[in-house]
Amino acid sequence: MRRKGALPAIGRTLGVIAVLVFALFPAYWMISTAVDTDAARRGAALVPTAFTLSHFERVLDDGGFALFLRNSAIVAVGTVVVSALVALLAAVAVARFTFSFRKAMLVLILLVQMVPLEALVIPLFLQARNLQMLNSLLGLTIVYVAFSLPFAVWMLRGFVAAVPKEVEEAAYVDGASWGRMFRSILLPLVAPGVVATSVFSFITAWNEFIFALTFLQDADKYTVAVGLQRFFGQNTADWGAVMAASTLITLPVVVFFVIIQRRLASGLSAGAVKG
Amino acid sequence: MSTTGSVRVAPGVSRGPGDHAPRRPPPWRRASRPWLLLAPTLVILGVLLLWPLARVVNLSFQEYGLRQLASGETNYVALDNYREILGSEYLWTVVLPNTVGFAVACVVLTVGLGTLVALFLNMLGTVWRSVCSTAIMVAWAVPAITGTYVWVWLFDPLNGLVANVLSSLGVIDPGTVNWFADRFGFYSIATLNVVHHGFPFVAITILAGLMTVPVELYEAAIMDGANAWRRFWQITVPMLKPIFAVVTILSTIWDFKVFTQIYLMPGGNGGNAEVFNLGVWSYIQSFAQGKYGMGSAIAVLLTGILLVITVVYMRTLFKEEDR
Repeated sequence: MRRKGALPAIGRTLGVIAVLVFALFPAYWMISTAVDTDAARRGAALVPTAFTLSHFERVLDDGGFALFLRNSAIVAVGTVVVSALVALLAAVAVARFTFSFRKAMLVLILLVQMVPLEALVIPLFLQARNLQMLNSLLGLTIVYVAFSLPFAVWMLRGFVAAVPKEVEEAAYVDGASWGRMFRSILLPLVAPGVVATSVFSFITAWNEFIFALTFLQDADKYTVAVGLQRFFGQNTADWGAVMAASTLITLPVVVFFVIIQRRLASGLSAGAVKG
Repeated sequence: MSTTGSVRVAPGVSRGPGDHAPRRPPPWRRASRPWLLLAPTLVILGVLLLWPLARVVNLSFQEYGLRQLASGETNYVALDNYREILGSEYLWTVVLPNTVGFAVACVVLTVGLGTLVALFLNMLGTVWRSVCSTAIMVAWAVPAITGTYVWVWLFDPLNGLVANVLSSLGVIDPGTVNWFADRFGFYSIATLNVVHHGFPFVAITILAGLMTVPVELYEAAIMDGANAWRRFWQITVPMLKPIFAVVTILSTIWDFKVFTQIYLMPGGNGGNAEVFNLGVWSYIQSFAQGKYGMGSAIAVLLTGILLVITVVYMRTLFKEEDR
């Protein structure tokens, strides 16, 4: 590796340890509290006193967390399907066609990315209230599609632009219509990008808090983000249960993230830097 | 999925030279196709983002409370909401310092730490680099909601790790210190939380950039006797300027509108007005106090600040693209 000798081995080792500890400690503390028999009183004990799964059982059975997980999954999958489809069409338009408003479109997408959710939650709450869409998973899904779209278009654009134009031309020469070319040539080639983007949309929907908090009123409609608050009392918290539920929320996201990490990094820089 | 091959053998298509020409759509259809492809996106963004934005601006000129919510009537009061907000001492002494100070601290620490980690990872061999990148990815992936609860638990005044370590060292008496009640303590923990969640994006993006800088530049600099510090400022920084600009401005946008990490901390959901930032203040005014007009005006203020930052961002971005 380049400039490997610039740092002595001991420095490298200490650096690696520091990075690993800083990056992973909160996640470790969450999981180790979740399986600790005496979670609330572990204090500064780095290793759990004894191993138990009782917090998970309590969270899933009495806490109703299984239902919250199901609600979140429904909302997230709905968001992924709709936004991947819509974003792919838009990404092709922005990446492939040179039309007069291409730059304006990008500006719009970026602007939308910047709008704070705090500003949208008030009018959308009033709107959803009028349409009787409060307290509905469908209403939440529709909102999440809108939030995940700009970023999905932005990311997919990089993947579409990376497909050489010649491949498409070849399909036309062979007599394929545009639709045929899209289905048979472009779609398989950008499929990895669609997967990466879908994971991102999934995480957006899975993690979202402010709209779930505002829209959902009945406990049977809660998503995990809101359901988690159940384990807090007036002044106390059931830390074993909170950390067990947190682990259940975090696990799928972390798994997805680590799987797509390479694509994510390249997609981000392709979308953000190459303009 | 079918491939190029299956297109070639598609039945009923004769493949004489020039045969593809009639299959290409007429010019007007080619011109309208991008708009057809964009239509769903534009409709969704228009209805769910642009229209609500117009509506929140409209609401900010009204006194819109529970009565209006029930009747659906409008109640315009011109600039009263803005006058009340901008004239209140609370904005200037509490909310704005909280928002701006917090964002500045988070951006500086996030970009600084992210850069350091990226430079360090760039020095490692392939194996350790991917081990560390994966660990960083985990820190990035932990959702804001659960991450916040973990930090709250770590700093729990009675049973948390930090309080116990400090009391066993004799620094504090357990149960006597509540960091969350104090504005500075509250925001120190929030900063730690946001930096921990935000530095991976910076590190990974800058690392990707570092790998594109030609090695020859550094070799030439070493031959000229430049030390590591000079090599960083004279080669790395100028080469990666566009990437630094992007991560800094994106972090600024994100850190100005932090909501979840504040709202979920003790006191952040309305209990302690000393710790609100603009986003939380707007939310509390609207949904806890029922003053939707006032909340909208605060939200418009926040959006205005972010708009200015975004314009700067886009100018940087497009300047690079046009080069």
